[in-house]
Amino acid sequence: MRSRRTFLRIGAVGLVSFFAFIWNKLTLNHLEAVKQKSLTLPFNRNKEIAFSADYIIVTKNNTTTVYSAHCTHLGCKIDKLEGDHFVCPCHGSQYDLQGNVLKGPAYKNLKVVPSTISEDGNNITING
Amino acid sequence: MKRKKNKTTFGTYALAMFWLVLLSGVMLAIPFDAKDPYLSVSTIMVSNPWASFIRNYHYWSSQFFLILSLIHLYDHFHHKMKIGLKPGIAFRLSLSLLIIFLAMITGFLLKGDADSVQARQILQTLSERIPLIGESLAYSLLGSPESYQLIYVHHIATFTVFIAIAMVEHSRKFWPPVMDFVVSTLATFVISYFLSAPLHDNINPAVKGPWYFVGFQEILHWLQHPAWSLLLFLVVLILVYLSNSAAGKTMLISKRSLLLFTGLYAILTLIGLFFRGESWQLTRPWSQEYKTSVLHNFRTPRVDFAPDFTLNEALNSPVIQGRKESCLACHTETHGFTDSHSAEAIGCISCHGGNPFATDKNQSHNNMILIPGNLSTAKLSCGTTQCHPEIVERVPTGLMATLSGMISVDRFTFNEQDNPDLLTSIYELADSPADEHLRNLCVRCHLGNPKTELGPINEFSRGGGCLACHLNYSPEAEKALAANNGEILKSHPEISLKITNNHCFGCHSRSGRISTSYEGWHETTLLASEMPDSTNYRLIEDERVFVKQPADVHHELGLECIDCHHSYEVMGDGTHYAHQEDQQDVQCSDCHFNGEPRTITAENLDNESAKIAALRFGNIANKTFLITEKHNRALINTYIENDSVFFLTKNSGRKMTMKAPAKVCSRDNAHSSLACSSCHTSWAPTCIGCHNEYDANERGYNMIENREKPGSWVEYIGEYNAKLPTLGIRKTKEKTEVIPVLPGMIMTIDLHSYTGDKNDATIFHRLYAPAAPHTTSAKGRSCVSCHNSSLALGYGEGELKYVIENGKGKWKFKALYQSDPNDGLPADAWIDFLQTREGKVSTRSNVFPFSIDQQQRILTAGACLTCHKEDSKIMQQSLDDFDELISGRSSKCILPAWD
Repeated sequence: MRSRRTFLRIGAVGLVSFFAFIWNKLTLNHLEAVKQKSLTLPFNRNKEIAFSADYIIVTKNNTTTVYSAHCTHLGCKIDKLEGDHFVCPCHGSQYDLQGNVLKGPAYKNLKVVPSTISEDGNNITING
Repeated sequence: MKRKKNKTTFGTYALAMFWLVLLSGVMLAIPFDAKDPYLSVSTIMVSNPWASFIRNYHYWSSQFFLILSLIHLYDHFHHKMKIGLKPGIAFRLSLSLLIIFLAMITGFLLKGDADSVQARQILQTLSERIPLIGESLAYSLLGSPESYQLIYVHHIATFTVFIAIAMVEHSRKFWPPVMDFVVSTLATFVISYFLSAPLHDNINPAVKGPWYFVGFQEILHWLQHPAWSLLLFLVVLILVYLSNSAAGKTMLISKRSLLLFTGLYAILTLIGLFFRGESWQLTRPWSQEYKTSVLHNFRTPRVDFAPDFTLNEALNSPVIQGRKESCLACHTETHGFTDSHSAEAIGCISCHGGNPFATDKNQSHNNMILIPGNLSTAKLSCGTTQCHPEIVERVPTGLMATLSGMISVDRFTFNEQDNPDLLTSIYELADSPADEHLRNLCVRCHLGNPKTELGPINEFSRGGGCLACHLNYSPEAEKALAANNGEILKSHPEISLKITNNHCFGCHSRSGRISTSYEGWHETTLLASEMPDSTNYRLIEDERVFVKQPADVHHELGLECIDCHHSYEVMGDGTHYAHQEDQQDVQCSDCHFNGEPRTITAENLDNESAKIAALRFGNIANKTFLITEKHNRALINTYIENDSVFFLTKNSGRKMTMKAPAKVCSRDNAHSSLACSSCHTSWAPTCIGCHNEYDANERGYNMIENREKPGSWVEYIGEYNAKLPTLGIRKTKEKTEVIPVLPGMIMTIDLHSYTGDKNDATIFHRLYAPAAPHTTSAKGRSCVSCHNSSLALGYGEGELKYVIENGKGKWKFKALYQSDPNDGLPADAWIDFLQTREGKVSTRSNVFPFSIDQQQRILTAGACLTCHKEDSKIMQQSLDDFDELISGRSSKCILPAWD
């Protein structure tokens, strides 16, 4: 009796784990399939700070750097410059224009995202 | 047993609420569109009051379900008795607590507003940080970033089914007692009618999670590694599990720990709800800031089953930035806007606030900003994140908003500070004789002074924030406003770049009187009734009488104020300056230059300049503009074409060629240290002999608070004259130059009249002020107007004569004005004849009268000019090397002797 129950229990746990395995696999595969490889946005060289989609495009001294607009603390989208720093609206983390953390709770700098500017200078392709 | 079954508990009420959630949810699913949640929810609120009511019902029944479930849980926990559920059911019950919160938060996400978008990000990041399965879990819970489909599925199916099963399993009940159901239904009806479910207007910058998670938001703020917060969830669930299933000490400790946690969490919730403002700043719930930035999002309108507009009107109104605004259902056909500010593009609430989701006038207009652009509310109108935040942040730092120079110099004159160049601000005025003087007489003209009445900017206008410059009424709009009979005005004034001289006039026709001088008008002391009937006189709206004088050459050519002054000068560049000449950027030599121009190409323009240039002149690609020497700012109405420099007037687009300065100006020898304006100023308004005293019986005015008050400083003015300016020296780190100066403050202040203190003597000052007269003439002033002029040298008006007696030359001066008893100098003088002064001599710490040596050199050349004409060969030669020339002079030439 006991061994039968144990067997069933193990079987049930095994089945659940198997389903979890399949779910994990299918989701990851799907994620890979729908993953956006790159994104092209209109680019304005005159704009020092541009908040576009999920990115912050900073152009200073003829150099353009693209940062992820998501706060490294919990991913909230930063869409505002306050004075000379970015402030996360959710928990108050602050970053300077180079994406460095000025004030926590975030402790990681904003992620730099590789990007290329089109030859005519009108578009920027972001490889997110 | 039967009695127990029908007993009313918080659990049975929770069950009733659950049914109400289900019922209202099913109904809400009809108008709700998961493809565009924000638009569909705002459309529901604006156009379908019944659906709006059901949305409220769904919201409130779910909030009560959560609260009642939690109380029900606590109801079991506060006894010391053991509950003793079997492990399986205890596990599922604990899990269902988590699921309830997930159902609630997915409901919160399905609003699709600004709060929801950020909450979704947080949920995603937290889930992703769970080891091994994080990424899959986050995606399975929330789906792809742009879609709400999976969230919707979980909300209506996954979580709801789980909660239902867990509920029925532990209570063995499907149906709540009838009475409980009826009471719950009615109570929720009432509350849903009066209080709507929140929806963020996506403009207000404060972001908050749902009330039950603001405590969690606080916890997350303190965690560098927020993933650890998930352990907190786990601990709470384990404690719930142990409270339900364990016995003895474990059970008791679990229950007490939960109680402690709940208490602490409640405190955090209160902090999060009432003490956090925009950008995570601490605030107080009774502060104005809290009202505007936090409470605003919760002031949702009551459901109105008979809206002020028809369904068709609501449906026909345009979608604005992804939402429906009810404003445009009533305010149809509103016109008069520029494209960028049209109602179709930015709606009404972007500027005017109010409630975009209400459907009756009163609620819609609640907290409305009737006149947007005032600096006190600019952050909520012109300066919202999507619009012009960087400008609205800058403007308050500029001099037109701070009045730093005016305040500092006034305090300096009242002997309240030793340095006239300190940085101050209008918002720092305190309780002192000078500050009261400022409040009574001077500070009405700051940009923060709010515009409180509808209508165009006129000669009476003072301040008004953004509108001070950017508001324009078309004749139609002005007529419509004048004929306002209570109906909705369809003709709206325009917010644009069309900034005319009239916008500047209200403030700048006072003090330095730049606006009037520029147009060739000099203020007199005549009363309106005394004004001669002649086109040489002009009466302005505030009854001051002006007389014709030569206008500025740029005015004659059709240039307006903004043709020279660019946006960073006028709206500030973010730096707090002490004086106008520091903030002011454009110099004559930026446009009138010899040699290579200083330029910038269109692609390197800053965004603001590029935007303004494109709005004014269309396509600017491949253009090259001039830039200023002082602050490196682009002059967007200039451009270089085929090696020529052209200039366009900003409002009318008239094209002109830029002239290089005359040869005489660009010689790098004599006169090289003269500012252009010291020669090219044709006249400047002067005022001498002004007395100030406080009169407690006078009807006064507080210009900061815009209210009348008893008692005021009174100014007894002296003489107003239009004259060539005096010259003085400005010494800066970069250069020493000769500039025009005016008798800015030759005045007495009866301090005793204000303080009542006998020991307070009457203050006397003889201060000259640097000037930018704005009366430029194409031709510079003559040599004798400086070298042989007592006025130019600072002695005041009078007879300055070169006398040769007994072979000895001597300059003599007889003043026109009587000596002032306070210092013995002529009333209009800056310095005594062939003397100089030190200490408090001007309204700046870097402006001085000529030294004795400098006066002697000027007058030596002046002595030559008494015989030699200024255009004579010899005088022209003297410009190259004066000293050498006079060393070889003839015996007839007698130079002045200095005693």
